[in-house]
Formats: sequence, C-alpha cells, structure tokens
Amino acid sequence: MTANGWLQIGLFLVVILAVTKPLGVYMANVFSGGRTLFDPLLRPIERLLYFATGVDEAHEMRWTEYAVSMLLFSGVSMIVLYAIERLQQWLPWNPEKLAAMAPDLAWNTAASFTTNTNWQSYTPESTMSYFTQMAGLAYHNFISAAVGIALAVAVIRGLARREKETIGNFWVDMTRAILWVLLPTCTVVALFFVSQGAVQNLKPYVTAKLLDPQTVQVTGADGKTSTQRVTEQRIAQGPVASQEAIKMYGTNGGGFFNANSAHPYENPTPLTDFLQVILIFAIPAGLTYTLGRMTGSQRHGWAVWCAMAALFVAGVVSAYTAESRGNPLLTQAGVDQHVSATQPGGNMEGKEMRFGIAQSSLFATVTTDASCGAVNSMHDSYTPLGGMIPMINMMLGEVVFGGVGAGLYGMIVMVILSVFIAGLMVGRTPEYLGKKIDAYEVKMAMLTVLVFSLIILSFTAVAVVTAPGKAAITNPGPHGLAQILYAYTSGAANNGSGFAGGNWNSVWYNVTIGFDMLFGRFFMVLPVLAIAGSLARKKNVPESAGTFPVTTPLFAGLLVSVTLIVSALTFFPALSLGPILEHLLMHAGKVF
Amino acid sequence: MSAQVMMNPAMAETPSEKQKRPKKSLWSGGIVTRALLDSVRKLNPRTLMKNPVMFVVEVGAVITTVDLIRYIAQHLPGLGFALQITLWLWFTVLFANFAEAMAEGRGKAQADTLRKARAETMARRMMADGSHETVPGSKLRTGELVVVRAGEFIPGDGEVVVGVASVDESAITGESAPVIRESGGDRSAVTGGTRVLSDEITVRITSNPGETFLDRMIKLVEGAERQKTPNEIALNILLAGLTIIFLLAVLTLQPMAIYSGAPQSVFVLISLLVCLIPTTIGGLLSAIGIAGMDRVVQRNVLAMSGRAVEAAGDVDTLLLDKTGTITLGNRRATEFVAAPGVSEQELADAAQLASLADETPEGRSVVVLPRKDTDCADASFRRRAPRSFPFRRRRG
Repeated sequence: MTANGWLQIGLFLVVILAVTKPLGVYMANVFSGGRTLFDPLLRPIERLLYFATGVDEAHEMRWTEYAVSMLLFSGVSMIVLYAIERLQQWLPWNPEKLAAMAPDLAWNTAASFTTNTNWQSYTPESTMSYFTQMAGLAYHNFISAAVGIALAVAVIRGLARREKETIGNFWVDMTRAILWVLLPTCTVVALFFVSQGAVQNLKPYVTAKLLDPQTVQVTGADGKTSTQRVTEQRIAQGPVASQEAIKMYGTNGGGFFNANSAHPYENPTPLTDFLQVILIFAIPAGLTYTLGRMTGSQRHGWAVWCAMAALFVAGVVSAYTAESRGNPLLTQAGVDQHVSATQPGGNMEGKEMRFGIAQSSLFATVTTDASCGAVNSMHDSYTPLGGMIPMINMMLGEVVFGGVGAGLYGMIVMVILSVFIAGLMVGRTPEYLGKKIDAYEVKMAMLTVLVFSLIILSFTAVAVVTAPGKAAITNPGPHGLAQILYAYTSGAANNGSGFAGGNWNSVWYNVTIGFDMLFGRFFMVLPVLAIAGSLARKKNVPESAGTFPVTTPLFAGLLVSVTLIVSALTFFPALSLGPILEHLLMHAGKVF
Repeated sequence: MSAQVMMNPAMAETPSEKQKRPKKSLWSGGIVTRALLDSVRKLNPRTLMKNPVMFVVEVGAVITTVDLIRYIAQHLPGLGFALQITLWLWFTVLFANFAEAMAEGRGKAQADTLRKARAETMARRMMADGSHETVPGSKLRTGELVVVRAGEFIPGDGEVVVGVASVDESAITGESAPVIRESGGDRSAVTGGTRVLSDEITVRITSNPGETFLDRMIKLVEGAERQKTPNEIALNILLAGLTIIFLLAVLTLQPMAIYSGAPQSVFVLISLLVCLIPTTIGGLLSAIGIAGMDRVVQRNVLAMSGRAVEAAGDVDTLLLDKTGTITLGNRRATEFVAAPGVSEQELADAAQLASLADETPEGRSVVVLPRKDTDCADASFRRRAPRSFPFRRRRG
C-alpha cells in the first residue's frame, strides 16, 4: 500500500461526489419535463422518433403496461441480436470472414447483452464481426442501460406520486435516457479515448513482426505435441473507442477484445483507466440525487449515497489491502513483494504493469459494485480474500451504486426492508417518504431477495456435483468452487465479469448462465415495478414524531447493515467453502 | 387515528376499586401449569403451521429425531452430538410455544373472571306454567323467557316481549344516558350484561351459550379469535422469506460440501439452518402480539382486532362522544373559574346556593365541590338557615 495508491482512491471518491449533483439535477430535469441544454438539438430528433414509431408521449402507463412494454422491447431486441450473431457471415463489415456463432453461444450472448450483463463466453476478436459488435452489441449496450435508467425513474415516480395509477411512459423514458443521458457523454468520451490511443477503424487485423520471437509447445489435433516458432502476431482492430465509452458509462462491461480493459487499445493510459472507473459510477451516483430531487427529500438521496459509499470504501480498502500483502508463500520462498522503485509490490499476478495494485483493486471493486463487469486485471488471479471482495460486491445484489438504474432500484428494495424493520423496532407503522409500507411491498421486496439467492445457489449447487458443470473448472479444490460460484453470481447480478480461469464456453454453461442472467434481470424488475405501482397509488401520510427518518446517518447505517446481513448470511456458507477455505489453506501452504 | 376499542363491562370500575383488586401475577401457578401443558399441545403441526419459522424448526426436530433413532439402532459414532442437537431443537420449539402460552395465560385468566361473572348472574326463567325458576345466566338457551326487574342485570342477549324499561347500556355502548327498551318495534333488542334501571320486562333469549356478545368478548380476551395485525402479517412475510432463503442456503450447501469432499451430517445442516433462520423473533412474534392485547386489557380497554392494538400505539389524542364508562357516568363540576373582579369564594358561595335545590347530578356535584376545598360556604350557609322556593311562575 502506498500513499499514492490511497490518494488515487480518495481522488476517485471526491470526483464521484462532485459529479453526483450536476448529473442528478440534469437527469431529474430530463425525466420530469424540465429544460436542459440539449433540448434545441435533441427535441426534434425525439419528436421524429415518436412520429415514426407512433408513440404518444403524453400517454401515461400503469406499472403493468410499463412492465409489458419493457419485456416486449427486451424480448424483440434479444431475438434481433441472436439473428445477427447467427447470420454474421452474410452481413457486411466482416473483414476477417468470421463464421456464424454456435446456437448455444449465440443464445448466451444475446441473453447477456439484453440483460446489461455482458458475460462473454466467447473471444470477441475471433468470434464477432465488426457489424455484430456495432449493430448487435453496441445497440444493446445503449438500450439495456437505457432500460435500466427508465426503470429506476419509474420507481422514483412511484415514490414521488400520490394517489396515481401511472408511473410514466416506458418509450419516452427510454428514448430520453438514450438521447439526453447516454449519447452526449459517450460521444465526447469516445473522442477522448481516441486521443489517448484507442483505435476506431473497420480495417482487417494487422500482422506485426515480433522483435523477440518465441518458441512454444503446441498440441495438435492428433494429440501430439510439437514445438513451433512464433515470429509474428496478429493485432485485432475495430471500432473500439466508440464501444468503450458506452461499455463504461452504461455499466455494460462487455469488452471489444478478450482482455477487456486490460487491453491497450481499450484502455490505453492510466488517465483513461481513471476516467473509466469514474464513468462506471457516474450515472448510478447521479441517480441518488435524482431520487432526492424528484421525491422532494434531497437529504434522503444523500443518505442513500452515503450508505453506498460506505459499502464501496469497505470493499476497496479490503481488496487493496489483500492485494498489497501479496502471497505469503512467495514471501516464505524469499521473494521480495515490497513496494520499491523497481516494482509495485504485492500480488501482481494477472494485473497490468501500467495500472498496478491500487488502480487494479479500485477497478475491480468499482466494476463489481456497479454491475459493469469490465476488468483491467484478472480477478481469478487475485489472492483468495482479494478475489472474494468482487464476489461479495455482486452478492450484495449490485446495490453499491450498482448498474445504471438497476443499482438504485435494487437499493430502494433494501430501503423498504430497512424502514420496515426500523419501523417495527420503534413500534410504529413503517413509512417511507410518506408512503405506508404494507405486506404487499414487503412481499415483493422479499421476492427479489429470494429470487436472487435462489438462482445463484441452485445453479452453483447443481454445477459442482454434475460432470458438465465440473468440466469447466481449471483449478481444483476451493478455487474451483469459487470459479463456479463467481460465474453464476456474476450472471444473476448482471455483472458479467468472470473468474476468467474457467472454460465457460460449453453447452451447459452457455444455457444455464443464459437463464441465470435473464432470471436475475427480469424476475428482479417485475416485483420492483409492482412496488412502484403500489406506492404510486398510496395516499401521503404526513410525517409525525413516530416516523423513522430516512435522512439521518442512523438510517444510512441501518441500510448498510440490512444490505450486508441479507446477503452475507445467505452466501456465507458457500463463501466459506470457497475463498475463505482457500485463504486458510494458502496460509497452511497449499495453493490451487 | 381511530381505534376500534371497547370498554370491558366486567371491568368497568372506578380507579379506587381497581386499586383494591389484587393484580394477577404472570407467574401465578395456574397460568404456568396451563402454559406448560399448552406448549406441548401446540406441537400439533396444524397449529404450528401458522408460524412458518417454528414449523421449520419442528420439521427439523422430527428429522433429527428419526435420524437419532437410526444412530441408536446402528450404534453409529457421534451419538452424544446427535442427541444434544435433537434435544436443543425440541427445546427451541417448546420454548416458543411456552412463551406464547404464557402470553395467552393472562388473557385466559381475565376471561375466566369474565366467565365467572357471567355464571354468577342469576336469571329468573319463566316456566311453561307461568312460575319462575332461578338458574345461572350461562344456562339459558334460545327461545327461553326470563323476567328482569329494576336493578338486575339482563342475563343474556334477547328481545323484550313484554313491558317497557329504561336500561343502562353504558357497559356495552358507552352511552351514559339510559335508553328505553320496549316490546315490539326496533327498540326491543337487549344485550346481556346491561342493567335494567326501572320497571320490569320479560325477555326472550335469542342466543345460545357461547354465542352471546359477552362470550365473543371473552374469546377476544383469550386470544382465541386474535387476528394478526397488518405489521405482523408483513413481518411474517419477511420471516417466511428469510426462512426460505436460508433453507435454500443450507440445502445447496450439501452439494458444495460434497464437492469439497466434506459432506455434512443431517444434524450439522439442520442446526446450521436453525441458527440462520430468525427463530427468536419468529418464536416470540405471536407472544408479542398477545402481550399487546394484554397491555390494553390491563388498562380496561378491549381491542377488537390486532389492527386496533397497532393503531392504539399511534394514538396521541382521544376524542370520545360517550362519557358513560370513561367517567362516573355523570357530568360533574370539577373546578370554579371566577370571572375578573369576582373572588373564587364569592363564586363558590353563589354557585352552591343556586344549586341547593337542584337534584340533577350536575347540581349535586356543584354543591359538593366547594366542600372539598373549604367549609366556609357550608358554614355561612348553615348560619343563614335558608328556605328554598321552587322555581315557579307566580300566579295573580
């Protein structure tokens, strides 16, 4: 651990704090009919879109219509992506003449990008044509993020409205999220990435002569090993910068290349790396301010922000500490793992020399706190405890700032549980921002918590005792369990990062993780929308002496503990057999 | 906030009477013995099903018991551990049942007092030949005729068939002024436990034992008809949800443990489950609900539903339009507030003199009030030896 490292992490938090208000105010204006800077430019485009698609922008939807619109839209988009993947050899912009994707892989990828997960079972540069990347994946990067923002705004409206049946118009919310929130920033950021060295072209891949030719052992199709001398390297090209911007800003995380943000074309400099982590948290942090502004309780918005920030800090400090300590077995073997002028110290396995321990730990924490899933280091190679932090972050349900939109509505579920429990503790009827919390809301909130743990634990339990499930494991013992647990957690939490060691591109994993992601997204969204609809219908209860205030540090503390208890207790038994056991065994001198 | 609360007729009493009555201790022998018996009786799965958390614990206890028998039969190692876990599980269920039974115990004791009061009410049952026979009120059946005279309690719910009487129904309705009940028409219904103030009526009983208004109140106090409060329902959902989640966590732990080469015994898994699920709050939840009922009963208020108890917690101002049972049933002067320039003494004297011949409860209370403070008015009144005149228009 270095002062420089802490400074970078501190600076990150300060920047997030600084962007929260301006972005929050801007989004509140966008979604509640306020005026914004971009209106003269974007309003005509928006009108044209509505005219072309026949959307009545004044139409207000009940939660059921909102949910059906969202499901239909996501469903159709998913089918379109599947079709593109299966037909890419006949479609344009395929200079490498890449073949159609296998059905199971195409299904997995379609589910993955529709749900904002961006779990990648494939190697992009050898699987995806430029057309698939741009028309298929980038399109989903925008719309899955916009759907998330629209849902969060609908839930906020449910809290803000009184005795109303409706929670807004899905088509309008989504269109405005793309045009006003996502596009302007992504345009600027893409240009900035290009200026830093990210590529943006449609050229065939480039072949480079190696300065230092290598000799490698190759196992042929007949099973015989032979030595081969490698003298040149194929360097993949493509429209990277444009996709990179939305990958971060929409918390998608699906890399243009297999190495994701560790690839120099995706993440050329430490500056772009810093910007990438900022982009991940920007919208989720801003939405907490939008929540405060639209419900008229700005301090509540900040209380939620603080609860999220506390969980984030706990995560990043643990990860940074664990990674800086390095591997005790290497220390015993006499390896110097201390920070010095010539080395960054700590556990550098699977990390980029350009980024070091601090930026890697920060990136790993941020990307799993939010449901981004982009990586600039390989989580699989982290120390057992360092690798457990990303896993726990996802197990919290992606509510620590979380995915764009998804983080906020996930956290609101936790808030509802917290005020309910707090209300009972002080012996009063639980209220949240003037709305009584009844059995219906508690039922729906519990449903989301239940579904989340159900899919992760059931899939993992089945996978660890079946042959196709165990086939993916590359490391035996507790680390293998951690790999599988991480994969299903990442899918259900719609994160998409992986313990990259496993061989996930099999029919079993493509199919199960596909369902894992779809359940994790849509079975969570429906109860949340039901809560929004139910809250919007309720009368306002004036605040009284018995109301548990949702604006105080006490509330933020309670929210943190409820979030931790609900998930920690559920997943602790599984974690104890995975990373915790691995950590103990490592100190006993056994590694996997 | 409106709370649906009622006064308990058998306990409508003045504060001084209340202080005299010995308070029923929670730990009195009868209650504890009955609670112990009840805690075993409550092991019935159909009863326990209402409480999902404790039901899961009971199912766990049954499973470990079955496995324990297998351990004993096959002389497997680790018997001591298995036995200990099984005993702890049963103890957990029994303790939760005991807590609930204890909470119900006081309510039951209250109900017993009520029932006794009811049984002590004697009724004059009219025989076919027109003669009367004295029987306990609780023995009356539908269709029987009883005669009630002034000053007596009406023994059961019924309908006036002969006569007119003024009835004090304050115990049931809270209305302080007596009401007229007469045969025929829509003012013929009378309720058991109310008192006839004047005249004599013949009542045809319309309810069987166990179905009267009073009986329903007794059941409420006992907790037999206790409805769950809205918060309790919501909390139950939360607890049931958590129980399912942890059930899942433990069920899926076994495959992972098998993968890790360390499969766990049923005893370990079930004890882990019971540790994880919210047994404490789940086990005590109904006890808490009943205790809430009991708290208001101690203050002579009967909550008609769980919702009312919850609402009672939020009450800060109580508005009443019935004074009968909250006060003595009469309006009373409590304080003299003199106008500027008049001393309190002068006011008291004048008020007393003016009310001397007033026979209404208000008038009498005005005469009595100053005596508490001072006897000056009384003394001066005696010296003057006044003569009172009725208020009457002079003729001529």
